[in-house]
This record gives sequence, structure tokens and C-alpha cells, in this order.
Amino acid sequence: MAKLSKKTVTVKGAPTALLCNESNRDPLVFVHGGHPGSTPYCSGSHIWGPALDLFSATHGIVAVELPGHGGTLAPSALSVDFYAEWMEECLAASQVRSCFIVGHDFGGLIALGLASRIPSVVKGISLVSSVAAAPTGDGAENLTLAYPPVPLWTRNSQHWAFEQLSYSHEHITDELLDACVSAAHQPPHLKVAAAVREGSFQNEFIPSLMKAKARFYELCRGTGIPVPVQVIWGSHDRLGSLDQALWLYRLIASRQTAAHFHLINRVGSFPFREDPQSFHQIVDSFCQAVFPHSSPA
Amino acid sequence: MPARERELLEIDAMGDHRKALPDGEWLDVNGTRTRYYDRGSGEPIVFIYGGNFGMGDSASSAYTWCLNFGPLSKDFRVVAFDKVGQGFTDNPPGDDYTMRAVVRHAREFIRALKLQPVHLVGHSRGGYAAIRVALEDHDIVKSVTVVNSGTLSPGVGTNEVILSRPPFPRGSRECVRWVYENYSFSPKVVTEEWVDAVMETLALPKYQESVRKMDGEKLATKLFLPELAREKRETLQWLAEGRLQRPVQVIWGFNDRTAVIERGIELFQLVAAQERRAQLHVINQSGHFPFREHPERFNRLLAGFIATHA
Repeated sequence: MAKLSKKTVTVKGAPTALLCNESNRDPLVFVHGGHPGSTPYCSGSHIWGPALDLFSATHGIVAVELPGHGGTLAPSALSVDFYAEWMEECLAASQVRSCFIVGHDFGGLIALGLASRIPSVVKGISLVSSVAAAPTGDGAENLTLAYPPVPLWTRNSQHWAFEQLSYSHEHITDELLDACVSAAHQPPHLKVAAAVREGSFQNEFIPSLMKAKARFYELCRGTGIPVPVQVIWGSHDRLGSLDQALWLYRLIASRQTAAHFHLINRVGSFPFREDPQSFHQIVDSFCQAVFPHSSPA
Repeated sequence: MPARERELLEIDAMGDHRKALPDGEWLDVNGTRTRYYDRGSGEPIVFIYGGNFGMGDSASSAYTWCLNFGPLSKDFRVVAFDKVGQGFTDNPPGDDYTMRAVVRHAREFIRALKLQPVHLVGHSRGGYAAIRVALEDHDIVKSVTVVNSGTLSPGVGTNEVILSRPPFPRGSRECVRWVYENYSFSPKVVTEEWVDAVMETLALPKYQESVRKMDGEKLATKLFLPELAREKRETLQWLAEGRLQRPVQVIWGFNDRTAVIERGIELFQLVAAQERRAQLHVINQSGHFPFREHPERFNRLLAGFIATHA
């Protein structure tokens, strides 16, 4: 198995750590979800857990820490466009000229944005439990994360968040919680969390999210997503219903031939943690067909 | 080049697909002369195609799997056989034109080949047969893949709505083409060779005999359909009770008008309530035959699932 190691590159003038393996293949790039200071668990490259080891055995991989996560500095006000720009520069700084992006939740929306910016680099996408990209309509309030134990981002509070979002608790390991607590205390997270308390999430980020979704839907109506897409969902995702997942898929499938939908049983919002083997099998089989440069024949 | 055109070219580039199947072999299955194809080594995959005997305007045979047989036989032992009364296999003894006879023959065929427990892949009515084989004979089955099976899914299938009264003479080439084009997302996938394979089966005297039985003697409505309905009720009950106890993946062509996507979702939910190792995969721009419309992606899905559950 190719060993994972941290590599530091400079993006927008600031250092950021990538988790990667040694491989001469075009990589799978893992983009995590969550918004610092708002999501009740701290995401980052650690969120992929043991799934990364499975992928490392079959593919070249790069897992990023988006600004505001881990040690990656961020401006106080974040937007979807900023993240897409940052990712584009990050890929360039990492010498990635061709890749397949695996995006979790909000990371999936970034992947869609990147695919329309640089389709020559992004050759395919996995949208994983990407509630952020799915249409909501006038959805009723979702209470799944409504009452977190305070103080936020303590071990106890983050443990609660994973419990709320999972079908099975077994993936909520000490290793995961240690990494999440450590991420919560890093200066980038503290800085954005302070800005969120001042209203930056509602005032800046949410409007940018709505704008990005509107552009995505316009693209789906028009020329379509320019690269192959698979939508992967958990059967017991409490944040996004199967109906939402299927609508996300329908939008993409209306113009993109190579569009798959996959449902993994008895998992919640983290299918890659709760059933890493099925997740790896599903991403790997799609990649082999649409992005053969990523894995040995 | 758009992916769709590339894929169609790839199918064409494979040339004469009947050659993708190895030479057929014969096996006596409790008195029923059975045609089958067998190639490769490793985990055994047994394909069960759809349809039933005695249909006058379409006819499946092992040829149906010709785009999957070759690629998968590189890593697996791949077996496809003609079901009782279909393709080149004998008609059911004692005029037992029932799904029960089809399932019994499939079980006996797999046992006669003396394979280790197999990964069953069943399409349409073959999906029903595959699940039923697993429910009745767990020892010979390791996993089941069900593809676009309105026969198995609870809820309303729309075959009769989409395919009734073809606008061409029954059993004619044009009629066969019309049926498969209406099954498919892209009419381009219905190649001359596919139509040839169907016409070859339709012309067999023993097949015409089955048409006479099912249609002329009305065994379809007197025997086959009522028996299937009774047995389907029992099958759905067994699935709901958790009797299957084998990993299952449901693969569905998104644009199938005869077994619409909702049928696939219902089927997945029925199985997944009792079986953790259940997956649903939906393939876009595909009608009833995703393994023929997108063979490469279908083959990868199948290979990945089987490797996981080897």
C-alpha cells in the first residue's frame, strides 16, 4: 500500500498541507465538506479516515484542507467562489493537471464549480452526500443538528454531531475525535468561527451558496455538467432525503450521459466512513470506466 | 467525441459479438438438454437473462450477455445458459410452462456444473429467477445482482403498456427491432446482429412449439401468469421476512419505460430493509438493458461488487 504523507504547498500566498501518496497516476482529489465555525464537527483531510488507505492502494490520491480547516488560513468572509478559486490554485500548485474529484457535501459543490471552470483538468466527479448541491424547495426545517451540546467543538459536542449524522456509531473513533478536536483549536478555525459569530456565515457565505447553486442549475438546464458525475448517497442520511438525492441526480442526468446514482445501505451522512469498502468499490468502478488513467489497468 | 458516440463505437469495434461467446456446450440437466457457455476461471458468475418461452415477437438467449461475457471472463469464471424453453435448450418436460420450472431448471443446472457458490446476475424475468434460486437454494449462491426486473419488483410494470400491439407483423424482423428499440434508451444499440440472434431463436421448431403452447393453447394466461402471480406473492413475502441473506446489488437503467426507476428503488428498499450488504446503482441514458447500452460501466460495477463479496 502506498503510504500517505503530508506535503506542504503554497496557495494564495499561504501554506497548506495536503495528504497524499507517492504515485505517478493522475490522482483522485478528496475535497471535504463543512463550513468552519458553523458545522458542528470540524472536517478536514482526516474526515476520510480508513477509506483513504483503501484508495491509496489503488490510486494516486490528494486530500486537501480547505481554508479555515486544519492549518490553512482563510479570510474572515468565505464564499463558494473563493473556495473554487482556491482549489484551482491548489491543483496548479500541486502540479495536478488531470484528476477525478471526490467531494463530500459542500466539497461536492466546489467540485461542480471546478468542473465548469477547468473541465480540462477535472475529468470526473463523485458527489458524496452532497446536500449542499441538492435542491431543497421550500423544505421543512431539518432539526438533525438543532441542539448541539455547548460549548461547541469540544470532544463531547463533536461526538454528538457524528452521532446525529450517522447510522452506526462504530466509525466515531478516538482517532476521529482527536483529529476533530485538534482541528477546532487551530487558528484558522478560531478566526472564522469568530467571524461567523459576527454574522459572516449568514451575510456572506449563504448568499454565495445560493448563487453557486443557481449557476449549477442553470448549467444543468443548458449545456450540462461537462464531465462524468456519480452521485453517492447513504440510505439513512438525515440531512438529505432520497428524494433530494434523486433530484440532484435527475438534474445532472438530463444532460450528462455518464451519470450514475448509487445508494449505500445503512449509512448516514458519511458513507465513506461507515462503509469504506462499498464506497471504495463504487468510486473505483466508476473511475476505471470514465478516468482510466487513475488506476492500473 | 461525446461519451455516448464513443461507447457506441466501442460496441461496434467489438465486431461479431457472437464470437464474444465461446463455443456452446451441452449439458443434460435431469433429461433437459441444456445449452450453455463457460469461460475463464476464478469466482463463478452465472448470468440469467430475461423474457420467457413462447413469446412471438422477442426472444432472449445467452447472446444477450455477449458484451459482458468476454471482458468479465478475464477475471472470473463466466457462465451463461439458455433457460428451459428458451434459446437452444429443450422445452419444459410435461408442458410445465411455468416460472417454477424455469427456477428448478436453473438450480439443477448450477448444481450439475458442480460450481462453488456462484454470483448470480439476473435481468428482468431472470432477476426474479435469480432471487428465487437464492431463496430456495442458499448453498449454491454467494451474491445476487438484479438488473431492471419489473417481474421481481413490487409495483406496476409497464411492459404491456409500452410494448403491446407492435405496428408490424408478429415475429417479423421489423417487429423484433421495434420491441427492442422501445426497450432501449438509444435505438442505435439495437444492432442487426442483435436482431439476427433473436430471429435465430424465433425460427427454431422447438421455440415455435412453445409459442403454440403459450399462445395457441393459451398456457400463458391459463398457467404461466397465474402461477407467476402466486409465486411472486410468496417471493415478496420471503424477501420481506429476510430469507434471502445474501449480498444484493440492484442495477437499473434510468430511462427504462417498461420497468421505471421507481420499481428499482422499491425493490432496493425491500431487500435493504433486511440485508445490510445491499446497493442500488442507476445508469443514465439506458433503457431495459444497461449491460448492453453501457457495457463497460456495467462490467466494472459487476466486477467491483463480486470482488468485494468473493
